Amino acid sequence: MEFEFSDAVKEVLGSRGLKEDDIKAVIEYAEGSNDKITNGEKNIAKKEIGDLTVYADYSVDGGKAVVNSGYAHKMKILDIVQDTSDAEGWTYAKNGAQVRKGHSNLTYMGATRSGPCMCEPTSGESWFEEYLAASALAAAEGLFEQKRA
Amino acid sequence: MSRKLGETAALCPKCLKTIPAEKIAEDDVVYIVKECDEHGSWKVRIWEGVEEYLHLYDFAAVQKPPDKFMVEEMKDCPQDCGLCSEHKQHTCLNVVEVTNLCNMNCPICFARANSDYRFHPDMDLIRKMLQTVVDYVPSPRCVQLSGGEPTIRDDLPDIVRLAKEMGIEHIEVNTNGLRIAKEKEYLKALKEAGVDTFYFQFDGTRDEIYRQTRGRDLFELKKQALANCAELGMGVTLVATVSPTINLDNVGEMIRFATENVPTVKGIHFQPIFYVGRYPADPSDEDRVTLSQLAKAIEEQTMGMLKADNFIPTSCSNVHCDIKSLSVVLPDKSLFPMTTMALGPPRSTDNIAEKTRTEVSQFWRFIEETMDGPSESDDNSWAAFVDRAKTHYLTVSSMAFQDVWSGETERWERCCIHMVTPDGRLVPFCLFNVNNKDGETLYRHQVFRPYGEKIKE
Repeated sequence: MEFEFSDAVKEVLGSRGLKEDDIKAVIEYAEGSNDKITNGEKNIAKKEIGDLTVYADYSVDGGKAVVNSGYAHKMKILDIVQDTSDAEGWTYAKNGAQVRKGHSNLTYMGATRSGPCMCEPTSGESWFEEYLAASALAAAEGLFEQKRA
Repeated sequence: MSRKLGETAALCPKCLKTIPAEKIAEDDVVYIVKECDEHGSWKVRIWEGVEEYLHLYDFAAVQKPPDKFMVEEMKDCPQDCGLCSEHKQHTCLNVVEVTNLCNMNCPICFARANSDYRFHPDMDLIRKMLQTVVDYVPSPRCVQLSGGEPTIRDDLPDIVRLAKEMGIEHIEVNTNGLRIAKEKEYLKALKEAGVDTFYFQFDGTRDEIYRQTRGRDLFELKKQALANCAELGMGVTLVATVSPTINLDNVGEMIRFATENVPTVKGIHFQPIFYVGRYPADPSDEDRVTLSQLAKAIEEQTMGMLKADNFIPTSCSNVHCDIKSLSVVLPDKSLFPMTTMALGPPRSTDNIAEKTRTEVSQFWRFIEETMDGPSESDDNSWAAFVDRAKTHYLTVSSMAFQDVWSGETERWERCCIHMVTPDGRLVPFCLFNVNNKDGETLYRHQVFRPYGEKIKE
């Protein structure tokens, strides 16, 4: 599979300490297993790589994956706390089910709290969006880790 | 059974000469033992828990010596300090004493305020002391204006302005709070001049404690000073001198009080009593509180909300000098500790002093930047947790200052809290204040008296 990373995307990945190979691995896994959510135009997929859950936000154009963004969190995803409404246009490619907006729990260093996410209740899967991973989750992880740095 | 843990050097409590010393373990207690050829031998308890004491060495930082030294060649540490080229760690906190006069006359006083001479430097000498900081300590520079009681000076706001103009980034004022409790205009002037925080004497939550440590009832006055700081948005670190017989049983209550006064109160610092100033008696081990004892007392008195295991060394000074914890204060006023020994030694201990100087400001700036934008209202969310952590946090810390009985060069040469002297030197804070049984000092009186005026009987 071919991959396209714009300079802006490369810069974002670099600032988040992510490698292009990590994003490629997520996309290859998602395209091989259909373990992704999609709205027909773009896809969000995740894969655990080491201690991280790495996400790829990408579109498929012919045989080429155009990467829109990549991000990650260290927190482990637990159960869905609640789902509130349909995430219009989004389906889980693996089972064809409607994706919902909701809240799921995340745990890190012994602490468990919730965060807003996209989720699919029958499979129990949750996907956290870039804005949250890059802000609140990163800040909370930093709060814990700063004292070890 | 006695086991030797290491060798160091210390001071004779009688003649103040440098004498060899050993650290030994007996019955799970660490002692420093030393002998002076002329004046006898001493054995002083310094830690409880031998394995913990040894494990703390794993937290030792790769220290960064000062860039410049005032004393080129060390002949006899700690007799010729200044700092010298053998000193292992550069400065993170500069203590500048702006007077040795005080508006109280406390039974406990490290600074020996109200002694037989008056040290009350004029603006030129204060400028010279601040210039020593600018010349010898890299940015960012933190200065604590201390005393005596610095707020007896009407020109303290001018001193603060001068320090800021000279490039001192962070200024804290060490105060008993009497004046800022009574004079809001003076407090406002200090804030406008650029005081960042107050290092605020606070020995307990009961007046009987103050009667013993300070000679009078003070709790209401302390609360008034805090209320004034809250009104003006000033941050405060509470500082308690802890005595095993006076207020060790009050540390849990003090933490609860601190928690209730967050975000005005940013931290509470416990200062185990050390025997200098007006304490020329020969103290026994029962007269002391070790850091390990203090951490256990905190765990017991907070019902385990803050455990001994939540305290880690800052790794800035020597690892046996201090302990610190950081907690987020949750809406129900409980503490959510962020620090634990279980996480092990820091991953990177390079240049810890610089990290310590910048840590607090960088830490919260980092949170501000990553949390830019609206947050959620769900109280149990990560976003709400981080949002709260920006303002509702509490550090609980302690530093074991050394006196002539407990002191050792292994710790002094790694010290990062330094007194700034009027003759242009930097000297570890507790070394500066050390005195022998007869009240003679190694540094304090020798340094300040030539710049002071004799007080008539």
